[in-house]
Amino acid sequence: MSDAKQRKRSKRRAARKRAASRFNLFIFLLPTLLFVIIFIAFPVAFSGYLSLTQYNYAKDSAPTFIGLSGYWERIVQDDFFQTALLNQMKFAIPYFLITFLVSLIVAIFINELRRGTQVFQIIFYMPMIIPLSLVGITFAWILAPDVGFVNHVLRSIGLKKLAVNWFGLPSTALYSLVVARSWKMTGFTLIIFLAGLQGISRNLRDAARVDGANFFQEITLVMIPNLKPYMLISGIWILINSIKVYALPAVVTQGGPGQATLTLYLYSWKLAFERLDMGDASQVAYLTAAIILILTWVLNRIFRPEPAQRG
Amino acid sequence: MATVARSNSNSFINKNTIILILVIIFAAIFIFPPVWMLNTSLRTTQDLYKYPPTILPGAGALTLDNYVYVLTEMSGFVRYVTNSLVVTISTVLIVLVASAMGGYAFGMRKFPGQNILFMAVVGVLTIPYIMYLIPIFLMEYTMGLRNTWLGLIFPYVALNIPWGLLIMRGAFSTIPTDIRDAAIIDGCNEFQMWWRVLVPINTPALAATTIITFVFAWQEYMFASTLMTKNEWQTLPVGIVWLRDELQTLVMGRIGATIVISILPVLILFFIFRRFFVEGLSEGMLKG
Repeated sequence: MSDAKQRKRSKRRAARKRAASRFNLFIFLLPTLLFVIIFIAFPVAFSGYLSLTQYNYAKDSAPTFIGLSGYWERIVQDDFFQTALLNQMKFAIPYFLITFLVSLIVAIFINELRRGTQVFQIIFYMPMIIPLSLVGITFAWILAPDVGFVNHVLRSIGLKKLAVNWFGLPSTALYSLVVARSWKMTGFTLIIFLAGLQGISRNLRDAARVDGANFFQEITLVMIPNLKPYMLISGIWILINSIKVYALPAVVTQGGPGQATLTLYLYSWKLAFERLDMGDASQVAYLTAAIILILTWVLNRIFRPEPAQRG
Repeated sequence: MATVARSNSNSFINKNTIILILVIIFAAIFIFPPVWMLNTSLRTTQDLYKYPPTILPGAGALTLDNYVYVLTEMSGFVRYVTNSLVVTISTVLIVLVASAMGGYAFGMRKFPGQNILFMAVVGVLTIPYIMYLIPIFLMEYTMGLRNTWLGLIFPYVALNIPWGLLIMRGAFSTIPTDIRDAAIIDGCNEFQMWWRVLVPINTPALAATTIITFVFAWQEYMFASTLMTKNEWQTLPVGIVWLRDELQTLVMGRIGATIVISILPVLILFFIFRRFFVEGLSEGMLKG
């Protein structure tokens, strides 16, 4: 009798404990979920809906549903969208190469240094803490046509022809932005590569050296294969960032001259906040996101990490 | 063995010197833009815009006038500093609490749908910000949050929670569950155990989260320039651009001073907490 009572009581206590534990779990998750749902999930869904509508913020009182035809219009008929897409490719290729190679090479070199690594790391990481808009002002000043440092040097060493208006010419403006942005972003992938290099065991490299490998062979045969997962991460990071280009053109060139530095981000922003076409802008935003996701997926396929090799 | 070591050390001297020189060249290129801005900010306007231009300040042209002017005469600039500080510090505090709570839930508790939910939250990191910008602008318009500090703090917190969660989950999942069980046997409830026992263990991860969030909020441009349409609410990255456009010509000395002032505190923090910064970034990226 008392035995059954006790069992009942302990059962009830366990149930209460479980309920309390579930309630605690809910409280622990609440802040995260609240912010992510209100300021991420809902906006994403909302702009998804907007992308299926025609909605001029100044003229229309409410969005008009038009289905997928807005996307069709963007992809097929919108010259600006096509220009932005083309600019994005012209931007991405040199940006990827410069950022990836410079951070890889510098990481391999810094990893070899016996002393002073701290100082160099600080120098290469420093651009990461400088706001992009201020990076833009700085580079616009360094590359200024008349009083800029670069053109001053070019003129004084007799290369007057090369002293052009870097951000003012359609042929150089986009690539000047590439340089500014690569400068800013190299530090991050450098951290990733250094972490990878420090994970390679000394024995592996010593063994290669005993087998007669020179430094270059050590790089290609020992370091690069072992860095594959880190290359994947850096690669994805750089590619994603090659598309998220907003602050620099907004501050330095406003998309010009002409449409030479019109990026997808900037175009979406201009549609939304200059033409006030929220539907059109959301279509560009969704198409941009689609490109980013496809790139991530493709890169995932190319550099599949080989865990067996990592020892 | 001895011969191998000797031949190595021989080629090592050459190789290392070459590598050192190359690293120094790269480093010189990298450090140049901020150094040039510092140089600009320390010169008089006449000296900066004279023809032909010079690389180093001319005689008597080295001055702190730009700094004095920016800090005493430009009330707008002081306002930007305040806005940046308030928004950044609030964002960091909220992200720390939220991600330490969420990190515990995802790292130490087990519940159905845990992995899917975690992937969903962290997946946010791959979504371009431009996707939220338009709806958040419309939301804040109806809620009256534009041109307020909260109007920036809320989206900043939401964008940084996934990062924080990634780092904090990693930290919590390495804590042995024995510690949790011991604390519970000692009579702590779950929140006391979290706050008094687990959170202090995770100080390095909290520092990493702090730095990543701080650096983000201090630098952010797109949301700040879109949501803060009135000059008095703008943060440093937006306000300085506004100053440049407003003052137009012959102001690079002063603009340079504002840039140096807005970078310096972060630079100092970065020097002090460099280890956490690097650890946080690599942990967050590589553990997930």
